[in-house]
Amino acid sequence: MGEFGIIIQVLISGILFGTMYGVAAIGLSLIFGTMRIIFFAQGTMIIFFAYICYWLFTLIGIDPYLSLILLIPISLLLGMGFYYGLFKEAAALEQKEVSLLIAIGLMWAVENIMTRVWTADPRAIVTAYTSWILRPFGINIPFTRLIALLIAVLSAIGVSLFLKRTRIGTAVRAASEDMESTTLMGINPHWVNAVTFAIGIGLAGIAGVGLATVYSFDPMYGFTFVIMSVIALALGGMGNVFGALLGGIILGLIYNLTAYFIDSTWANAICFVVFLLVLMFRPQGLFGGAAQKV
Amino acid sequence: MAKYPFNILKSLIPTKITQNQINIYIIIAVIIGFATVPFFIDVDTSYFAYYLFLTFLFIVIAQGWNIVAGYAGQISLCQNSFFGLGAYTTGLIWLYDVTKTGYYFDPVVMLLSGLVPVILAIIVGIPLLSRLRGDYFALGTLGVQFTVTVLMLKGGAFTRGADGLHLPSVAFESMLPYYWVGLLLALFAVAVVYFINRSNIGLALKAIREDETSAASRGVHVLQYKVFAFAVGASLTGIAGSLYGIYLFHINPDSVMNLNWLFFPILMCVLGGNGTIMGPIIGAFALAALLSYGDVYLLETHPILSGLIIILVMKFMPTGIIGLKDKILSRR
Repeated sequence: MGEFGIIIQVLISGILFGTMYGVAAIGLSLIFGTMRIIFFAQGTMIIFFAYICYWLFTLIGIDPYLSLILLIPISLLLGMGFYYGLFKEAAALEQKEVSLLIAIGLMWAVENIMTRVWTADPRAIVTAYTSWILRPFGINIPFTRLIALLIAVLSAIGVSLFLKRTRIGTAVRAASEDMESTTLMGINPHWVNAVTFAIGIGLAGIAGVGLATVYSFDPMYGFTFVIMSVIALALGGMGNVFGALLGGIILGLIYNLTAYFIDSTWANAICFVVFLLVLMFRPQGLFGGAAQKV
Repeated sequence: MAKYPFNILKSLIPTKITQNQINIYIIIAVIIGFATVPFFIDVDTSYFAYYLFLTFLFIVIAQGWNIVAGYAGQISLCQNSFFGLGAYTTGLIWLYDVTKTGYYFDPVVMLLSGLVPVILAIIVGIPLLSRLRGDYFALGTLGVQFTVTVLMLKGGAFTRGADGLHLPSVAFESMLPYYWVGLLLALFAVAVVYFINRSNIGLALKAIREDETSAASRGVHVLQYKVFAFAVGASLTGIAGSLYGIYLFHINPDSVMNLNWLFFPILMCVLGGNGTIMGPIIGAFALAALLSYGDVYLLETHPILSGLIIILVMKFMPTGIIGLKDKILSRR
């Protein structure tokens, strides 16, 4: 494999790497749309579900992909529970710092509970197919990463269909455009918020399985993850499901290319600089049409 | 002439004591109380004195966030880079012997450590504050803080990377100067916020917080005031960082640019009551107690507990501890 082959390899793994951020960014985008907060605990929730997936695999022996059947309903319910249990009062307030701080408190608590239960050592799921590698045209594509990409694309399609085709999905879209008018139309804001939370945490469950099968993870990885997802969100534009996924992929490409050509610490800085430039000059995201109300 | 002695007594007491004067007496009494603590307890061995030192440091950074977010209404998420920059300025000046002064508790160095974050605040503040509003500004500052951390990590021989700067710790003699300087800085920070609040600037900042468009239409130069508040907050945080750097003697990105220095000020302000003068002070006392005593008595579980306490406080008293007073009064 020559220089060109290596670059193709870097690009491919960037795309596969970025989809995980994309899925997390879709969740962030939905919650941001209705609640107007960055849900900082998203990354930590992903790690939490990765650990649950890890436990299901090591203790009971359930295949990680099969555990999705169990994890998706659990995470949807957990999301709804979070909203009604923690955020309901704060969502009605004018000060958004309050909701933001509850999210940070949740992140802090869950992170430390995970450190207590599973220790700070990195864990990984090793199954029979972890080491499978597909080699189309001489490019190495690990099987688990391909499945992660597939799951990400499928969940993006699912969320997008839900938002476009169902009544409550339409309500969520309306609420993220103008919460006040939506409430005046007789839509219960708490129900809309609860549904977005459920989907957001549900996506965290899906991303958790994807992550658990591909990478090793530790409790403190969640914050890094959520920051990268925020960048993916800004690249894709707020309130745009496929934009968020594409934003994640672009971020993965930028990261991998700079990490390959320069250095991985600088790659972080370059991601943030790109993030700042996009925020300043294209706040509607790279794929957004008209400028959004800020 | 039996009344005569009473008249003398009466003339000693001012005829009308206003609430304002009582407040001033209370404040003076409290300051004297804190200033004399080192005469009653041994600062070097007492954990309580460490707690008070931490509280003073927290008051400074909390007031730094208070002026930006509480008064001007701009959620800044790069306070930890100002804190770290203050500490790094102190460390670099000391190690490279720049100002040729004493360095250990050198007012010149501390002043410079307050100035360097101002430069960063102006450089990033003007483009960010002019183009971004609300949540987008918060996200932008988050990007700034990560970039600054990477710059410090990748500073090569100048900032010495992840290992950071080791200051000559032979200078350390006693905790006493830390205590006094901490108290002085806390008083300074509170005074800065108090006088800004009473001046026209405070009025303009609050107008911007309430409604930016109408403030602008009334002739308030919005960008100028926002950058001013951002810079004052940065300066206070930087000076606190300088004190913390002198306290640690080891300045690296992990210790002074830690995300805790970003979350703590937010936490203290919202816990105590954002946009008030007393709120962040109360928040600082509460958070320092939770952190310092939590470390001693609940070694393993206290981070979980702090997370849960944040959630509970925000859920049940979102206006902070200071808002509790109004709630109780209105219920009566």
